[in-house]
Amino acid sequence: MSLFRYTFWRLLQTIPALFGISIITFALINAMPSDPVAIMLGPEQMASEEAIEAARERHGLNQPVHIRYLNWLVAVVQGDLGVSFYYNGVSVSDKILERLPATLLLVFASFVFSISLSIPLGIISAARRNKLADHIARIISLIGVSTPSFWIGLILIIVFGYYLRWLPISGLPMPYADPARVSGAETQFEVLLQTLRHLILPTIALGTLRMAAVTRIQRSAMLEVLNSGYIDLVKAYGVSGRTIMRKHALKNAQLPVITIIGLQISGALGGSVLIETVFNINGLGRLIITAIEAQDYPLIMGTTLFFGIIFIIGVVVTDIAYAYVDPRVSYGGES
Amino acid sequence: MASESKDTIDSRPGELFVPAEEEYSVDNPDEMDNSEDVGIKYTILQIKEDTTARIGLYIVSIIMIVAIYATIDAQLLDYAIAERFWYHPEFDPDSPEANLPPIGITNAYGEGTVAHPLGTDHRGRDILARLVYGSRVSIQAGVFATFIGMAGGIIIGSVAGYYGGRIDDLLMRGIETLYAIPFLVLIIAFMSAVGRDLVIAMVAVSILTTPVFARLIRSEVLSVREMAYVEAARASGLRDYQIILRHVIPNSFASVVVQATLQIGSIILLIAGLSFLGFGAQEPTPDWGAMLADSRGFLLPNPWFSVWPGLAILITVVAFNIVGDGLRDALDPYIDNSQKEDEGRI
Repeated sequence: MSLFRYTFWRLLQTIPALFGISIITFALINAMPSDPVAIMLGPEQMASEEAIEAARERHGLNQPVHIRYLNWLVAVVQGDLGVSFYYNGVSVSDKILERLPATLLLVFASFVFSISLSIPLGIISAARRNKLADHIARIISLIGVSTPSFWIGLILIIVFGYYLRWLPISGLPMPYADPARVSGAETQFEVLLQTLRHLILPTIALGTLRMAAVTRIQRSAMLEVLNSGYIDLVKAYGVSGRTIMRKHALKNAQLPVITIIGLQISGALGGSVLIETVFNINGLGRLIITAIEAQDYPLIMGTTLFFGIIFIIGVVVTDIAYAYVDPRVSYGGES
Repeated sequence: MASESKDTIDSRPGELFVPAEEEYSVDNPDEMDNSEDVGIKYTILQIKEDTTARIGLYIVSIIMIVAIYATIDAQLLDYAIAERFWYHPEFDPDSPEANLPPIGITNAYGEGTVAHPLGTDHRGRDILARLVYGSRVSIQAGVFATFIGMAGGIIIGSVAGYYGGRIDDLLMRGIETLYAIPFLVLIIAFMSAVGRDLVIAMVAVSILTTPVFARLIRSEVLSVREMAYVEAARASGLRDYQIILRHVIPNSFASVVVQATLQIGSIILLIAGLSFLGFGAQEPTPDWGAMLADSRGFLLPNPWFSVWPGLAILITVVAFNIVGDGLRDALDPYIDNSQKEDEGRI
């Protein structure tokens, strides 16, 4: 099977997963104890029976569950996620798109942070096994996987925000924001600088866990490669240690790391809920918390579904990248 | 760190042909005959030699004892949730100090120098008492959720792996769908539907732990299924469930135990995160994550308030992870890499 057909096949396989997510999301919302109409109308209009009945009629809420699910699904496929109660009739998709850039920026930055530190750290750790560098790398990664990300955020705020006063601790202005509305910025370039300054602490807080996890995986992958038969063979030919590392070990030890990138993206997205709360960043994570606090049903459904879709895209891209990089992958499906 | 003398190749780049000395020592368990490399005795031997794992085991034991103490001591909870300022005769709720947490080992209301070794929180509750009681909440949540997840995973994974075909496809597709939504978001959506409570949080987390174990057990079952002794058991007339219970599950238990130990740590982190967002333990139950959420308002006047609960989480999770790593090295040093993929999901 060609890579193209594999890609197509893999995309086709996401349909059941997407379907599952939509059913779970819809079922959860319908299991909620409170009445959506009551929240929509507010306390004043709740008095009259007609107003409630009219609202039910208008939103199709007096139809059976499966019909409502189908109606919702058809609307979602057409890109209509409904209208938010809490934000006074702003469409859910607009709200998601408004909040998306901050979350994507944060997740991307933490991804770059974790990958650029963890891969060298894992390789050095494996190459200098049981030496000082290995011990330090392993202690860092052990503590990294064991520390709550939001606590790292709090400690960073205390140290770099309150005591040293080096970095801002709240909010995240986007680089395209109007300079007049960003404090400490007069030109567009200064806005960009402010974005970067605001990004540093949340990135470290969000990226540390993933940095540590990837370091551990990179280290064990590297050790596995170094212990394998073909490295023994190359050694027997008298090739120098450095050349073995560069030419034979490094490339093969990247495969397990690529496989977990999808999970890293999912983890970072989930973690962004916590980090956005700690640093008061108006991203998707806080949107979902706001939606739940306000019991804004369309917004909860929309954001949950959106999170699921982003994650599935991440997994599919990882699978395809893996098939592309590793010639041994038989492109699934054949068996 | 964990001793890793068992590896036969020294990978120092410059000295590739100089094997480390310990590889030839007779005491090295890996030099023994392979048939002795199994069993509980061997595991205990390995753990005894592994200093790091031993330290981890001590810390886990201490935390367990603290958690059990918190369960037995009936007064502790009172002490941890009583807002002592409000009862004190000298307390003036209008004074500016009323909104500031006292720092250090004394407080302004004459309770003696060691009344609050770690100070009190913004409502005058003793931080040490809350930390001690919080260990109970964390350990309970971690162990309970892991156990339920493990049980569910064993059932789903062994059925899927043993029968294969359609059943396998169906179960594994369902599992992948659970995998597909970011953990935290799904749990939060679930809790917004069902209600906010620590028990509900534990149930939600354990449902989402199931896939980890189901995948693990399935892959183990797939390899065990083809073994000659399973064939023999089938030939001697054992039923499917008997074969699964007597042969398949016991033979995949080593990796399950390792995974469970590592999982407890991640679940403690997850539950702390949920409590931090207000979805886990509810006031006034003391919980490390909820304490950190409280501390957000007092980062400047009393930074120590946010240091202690975080440190407690860190030490607990590190200890469980060290023990898990030690067990992994002892039970199966060549364990499949794919199991490590589940790390860092949360």
